[in-house]
Amino acid sequence: MTARATFAAILLVLLVSAPGAAPTQGPAPRVIEVTAERFEFWPSEIRVDQGEEVELRIRSDDTMHGFRIVGAGTNLLIPKRGKGYAVTRFTGSTAGRYTFECSRMCGAGHNFMRGVLVVRPGGGTQ
Amino acid sequence: MRLFAWKSWFLGLAVASVALPAAAQETDQGFPTTGPVSGYMDFHFNKADGEDPVLDFHRFVLLLNHSFSARLRFVGELELEHAFVEGLEESGEVELEQAYVDFLLSRPLNVRAGMLLMPVGIINERHEPPVYNGVERPFVDTVIVPSTWFDVGAGVHGELGAGWRYRAYAVAPLNALEFTADEGIRGGRQKGSEANVRNIAYTARAEYRAIRSLTVGASIWTGDSSFATPRLDTGVTVGEFDARFRRERLELRWQFAQVGIADAARLNDVLERSTGVSPNIARTMRGFYGEAAYRVWNAGAPRDLVAFLRYENFDTQFRMPDGFVPLKEFDRDAWVTGITLYPDPDVAVKADYVYLRNQSGLFPNRHLFNLGLGWWF
Repeated sequence: MTARATFAAILLVLLVSAPGAAPTQGPAPRVIEVTAERFEFWPSEIRVDQGEEVELRIRSDDTMHGFRIVGAGTNLLIPKRGKGYAVTRFTGSTAGRYTFECSRMCGAGHNFMRGVLVVRPGGGTQ
Repeated sequence: MRLFAWKSWFLGLAVASVALPAAAQETDQGFPTTGPVSGYMDFHFNKADGEDPVLDFHRFVLLLNHSFSARLRFVGELELEHAFVEGLEESGEVELEQAYVDFLLSRPLNVRAGMLLMPVGIINERHEPPVYNGVERPFVDTVIVPSTWFDVGAGVHGELGAGWRYRAYAVAPLNALEFTADEGIRGGRQKGSEANVRNIAYTARAEYRAIRSLTVGASIWTGDSSFATPRLDTGVTVGEFDARFRRERLELRWQFAQVGIADAARLNDVLERSTGVSPNIARTMRGFYGEAAYRVWNAGAPRDLVAFLRYENFDTQFRMPDGFVPLKEFDRDAWVTGITLYPDPDVAVKADYVYLRNQSGLFPNRHLFNLGLGWWF
């Protein structure tokens, strides 16, 4: 009885962990940690390959900031320090430079708070 | 009303994206757009030994912003100091500290014009109460670098890559006739109020941040500041270096600033002839400070507490012109220690003790105790 139960348990584990048991997913995107603080992003220059999808995790070190990628339809709020982080994904389908900036007034130097996403041509070449 | 409703809807949507950060919603903001009103306030209790305690609503500041387009933006900062305006600074004043339009052209080159903050020192461009330790701003950033230092002008700013940022402006000069032995060049700010621009001053700052923890900066301001008395040649130069370091719970700040005044002897003579008293203005003023702060309670607001210690040395009589004797009561240094509690990342409850010394044997050293409540929204 014990042997049959053990066999059933192993079979169940194999079935659950089999590749076909879960929905098919692509490779997880590269995660890039970004810190926002008055009045700059770190890093302020982010390089990705053309066609590469990246996940931006943006955390504030002080007040609430915004994160807008100009012309890319991305605009979200970054929670205050210690309140979590904002997440967005970005795929640079076209090579070029994409400005990102703080979109929520954060102080006297708010307009200085900008950076650039550089999408390098020829995906996959690091 | 419709605009207000639209903005409320947008804000609500944005807040929702914060509440669910893992599934942050994306919205693309249209233009033109007027942002919500922001601002900061500073409420102080000050007690100096031998003096009555004072309660002062020191600053009430509102910031407005408007984006005409993605590349054309306005920012304004209007400040009411000491809660009441009677026409003299001691009684309070209303100041237009910023009101400029940014032409955002490219990452390395953008144009700014209007009422500008001088890009000198750590505090002048970063003066929101939760940003710095201590109830009052550092003495060096008050007496040597006369923050909040603002004036009308135009210039360029941008990022050059590899961690370099800069700004460079042409601005209205100082008025040397308002310089003093005690507060240096502070009284000479024209503040964009029908500023005389017969002479033009120039100011620039470069910042370098190649690693996450460290930012270093250098600033300069230079201009002929004797427009009110053309016979004089009172060129003023302010040079400044600073560094900020932050890693985990530790934050360090350091700043050095020096003011040079050419032809200070003649400036003193002219002022003495008109007032009967020599102002004893120095040809060189100098100040520096170092500050160490440690986040002793780091569990996130409201369990967020910073303790700090700062040493400042500032002398508005550092080098005198020939024939003038320095007033040693203006050769000062200060130990400032205290705490900052953050019940919210945008609210700072501050307490500090200041031991302010001077090199004169005639004037006593001072002990000051301060409490402050400052917030940003």
